[in-house]
Amino acid sequence: MTNPTIENIRRSLGRTDQSALSPRPAIYPPRQTESAAAEIDRFLREIKKLSGVGRKLSAGDVEPALRTLLSEQDIHTATAWDTAFLKQLGITEMLQAQGVKLVSPNADKREMAKCDLGITEADYVLPETGTLVLRSSYEKPRAVSLLPRVHLAIVRPDSLRADMHQVFAEAKHDHYLLFITGPSRTADIELTVTLGVHGPRNLYVWVQTPQ
Amino acid sequence: MSKAQLFLTCLGDQFYTSTLQNMVRILEQLEVELVVPPGQSCCGQPLSNNGFEDKTRAVAMNFLRAFGENDAPIVAPSGSCASMVKHHYAGLFPVGSAEHALALDVAARTFEFTEFLIHQLKVTDVGAVYPHKVTYHPACHYLRELGLKTEAKTLLNAVQGLELVPLREEETCCGFGGAFSVTYPEVSRSMMENKVKCVMASGADTLVTCEPGCLMNMAGGLHKAGSNMRALHIIDVLASK
Amino acid sequence: MTSPLHQELIIMSETPSYIAFEEYSERVPASIPAAVQQATERFVAGRAARVGELPQWEELRQIGSDIRQHTLENLDIYLARLEAAVLSAGGHVHWAGSGEQARQIVLQIAQANSVKAVVKSKSMATEEIHLNDALEEAGIEALETDLGEYIIQLAGTGPSHIIVPAVHLTKEEVAALFSKHLGIDAPTDPTELARIARETLREKFLSAQMGITGGNFLIAESGTLVMVTNEGNGRMCTTMPDLHVAVVGIDKVVPDWESLTVFLKLLARSATGQKLSTYTQFITGPRRAEGEFGPKEFHLVLLDNGRSKILSDPVGRDVLKCIRCGACANVCPVYKNVGGFAYGSFISGPIGAILSPQMLGTQAARELPFASTLCGACAEVCPVKIPIPTILLHLRRRVAEGDEFSEPTISLPLRATAALASLALAWNWIYRFGARLLPAINPFFRRDGWLSGLPYPISRWTKVRPLPSFGSRFRQWWRARSAERKGEKR
Repeated sequence: MTNPTIENIRRSLGRTDQSALSPRPAIYPPRQTESAAAEIDRFLREIKKLSGVGRKLSAGDVEPALRTLLSEQDIHTATAWDTAFLKQLGITEMLQAQGVKLVSPNADKREMAKCDLGITEADYVLPETGTLVLRSSYEKPRAVSLLPRVHLAIVRPDSLRADMHQVFAEAKHDHYLLFITGPSRTADIELTVTLGVHGPRNLYVWVQTPQ
Repeated sequence: MSKAQLFLTCLGDQFYTSTLQNMVRILEQLEVELVVPPGQSCCGQPLSNNGFEDKTRAVAMNFLRAFGENDAPIVAPSGSCASMVKHHYAGLFPVGSAEHALALDVAARTFEFTEFLIHQLKVTDVGAVYPHKVTYHPACHYLRELGLKTEAKTLLNAVQGLELVPLREEETCCGFGGAFSVTYPEVSRSMMENKVKCVMASGADTLVTCEPGCLMNMAGGLHKAGSNMRALHIIDVLASK
Repeated sequence: MTSPLHQELIIMSETPSYIAFEEYSERVPASIPAAVQQATERFVAGRAARVGELPQWEELRQIGSDIRQHTLENLDIYLARLEAAVLSAGGHVHWAGSGEQARQIVLQIAQANSVKAVVKSKSMATEEIHLNDALEEAGIEALETDLGEYIIQLAGTGPSHIIVPAVHLTKEEVAALFSKHLGIDAPTDPTELARIARETLREKFLSAQMGITGGNFLIAESGTLVMVTNEGNGRMCTTMPDLHVAVVGIDKVVPDWESLTVFLKLLARSATGQKLSTYTQFITGPRRAEGEFGPKEFHLVLLDNGRSKILSDPVGRDVLKCIRCGACANVCPVYKNVGGFAYGSFISGPIGAILSPQMLGTQAARELPFASTLCGACAEVCPVKIPIPTILLHLRRRVAEGDEFSEPTISLPLRATAALASLALAWNWIYRFGARLLPAINPFFRRDGWLSGLPYPISRWTKVRPLPSFGSRFRQWWRARSAERKGEKR
């Protein structure tokens, strides 16, 4: 069965339901990757340009860094992705030890909306643009990077990809994929750049490096 | 000795007698043998730009008759009119027709004046002397349809005593646009006033451009703004001794 | 707030039956071009910086153009693929031939789900079909959540710029709007105003039953909706409510994910001078796991509304290559001097001047193709190389000479003038004769060497700036000189 829109298109183009697909033009190749260290540096430079706060740290640095973030941002309530990597880092224990109230990442949206801080990983990162790529699942709810006013992403070094081409090759069958490039922003009132209009105002990105 | 046919353009013909005379002097000094086909009128761009393709065709035919017999290059003191012939004539006639072939032939040997000097005659210095501060407005069709980005500045820089000063927003249209200037006069006014403001702020005493239409527009605007700046076609500067 | 005239100019709640560009352009308040130019200057500079960083920019543009061309030429196949892919991802697909059909489809989905409140993210397609009015009429609250769109919805006006729709309003005007509509005493600090909007809209996101969005691209390969936004409201609309309805033009299809890389690299750089916009979402059907965030139902409304008709014009159809970056408007000297409202429709600037006449017909939008000096700045920056001046000229032809849908719609005086001009220019003896007569009028209008106050239609020139005196002595000079030289030779 066909529909009027497609029939109109065929009539306009002088095609029929037998017309073949012509070959698609070639695309531009992805950018070449540099050394991992250079890529991480480039990534962190971009995060900074985007008004995010990026740094490298080893597993042992996570706790002091987190303590600093909690006090800087006056965090009382937090939520985090329920993933093996974050568990292994002991994120929830560290938060509890600091007296932060934890909300389940699968809690009701109104509960989630009360969180000051949302912690995620990044499934991939793109150094050229300073982009975090997040996949979505029950364990990785997309609201964690959206509702809280502060978003912290802890990045494994093996999540570096040279370009979006590689990310798409690996993740294009996902039902939801998200690129985050800097904190939420607007310039809608007199072109004044304002961060955090609907999404997080503050974006922290920690890239884990070997100890 | 090279040859050329002068395409006066209708604005040149009506308003810029001395510029055309200077064009003759410069080209003859460069030993170009000139003819001025008497049957020429206008390239038809005003009609074409208003959408009257049929009526443009008749005017284009007149042009092709006037210039087609002689196989010498055609030189115009206007990038816009040259571009009309170069880029828009062939499309007026069915592919395969004699007119189409003639239009292609004529298009291939039609040149804007500075383009002709630099790319055909290979001349960058015509021995001019013009001891003034000059700012330059690149006309839109000259710049974008013909892609002449450096030619005028190259010629101006070779003029003895001439100091070329930058023009803010130089590549922004002056608001002439042919029929546009009378179709939407108030928009044309805002654009022209903005251009004139930039020209007056340049610190130059002379404004130079390669397009009679834009020259008319900006010179009129400068006059209306009470400015004493001179506004000249590049040909007039290149003819100064 | 805004003057009544100002209001009258900029409310665009219905598809216009005639777009009076000249009349609009002459009554635009001076504050609008001033504000618009601030925005365009920023975006032009941002774009130039990003483009300068990419040595392969021109190649990317060419590839982008080629892929858009290819997609339009095979649109029937790609749309069929897209539909099949959305369905297999568990989404619903609705075909809307007209704006009216699209409105009915969305209303039916809303009513079937007892929707009381809708949150919307910025979408040109829903502006094109005036969806908000239809929802409001049906008693459903439809709230724009992009900050700029929210502001102009409160103000009851249309957008003045494609990227920053409320740029014509000052922070004081925005504060007054917030005070009036939210019953608060709003400060004039933009950051504070944004905070107020965040808090007000946050509650709406959490309570609305349906999110309505547009879409930047549709990937045929996988049935994926791609949305590019900066504020996060787009994410809210696709994450919080149980229903997500995307209304997207059929021209937004890209073949596959590989092709998409090209457009994502071109879009934000051309639009705002960002490498990528803050949030890029890739949505393939509804949520999968029970308890996962995201909508239970995903509906894609594919909007034709004249697009399939536009495809029949091999020159004009290139307008459908557009990826809505707004770069053409940012460099357009006409747009910068009149702002978005003068174009009388949801889309303004050069791209509006070539889209509206093809969507609304050459009667309603007959003035728009002429609203350009053909300076070509737009084509120079277009990321998919749409030959805008060529299409403007082509549409002028359709206006002047008629097309398959309409008789000529150009004004009679212009047609008569053109007929006369054609006669005079094609018969060069008439032209030469006329040229010899013209200098005779000089003495009557000359002041300080310039002509002013000439009668209609030249008055439309001289009311703005004087005209040089008619000269036309060159041919005589040349003849005399040639004769003299011949004499010398003999």
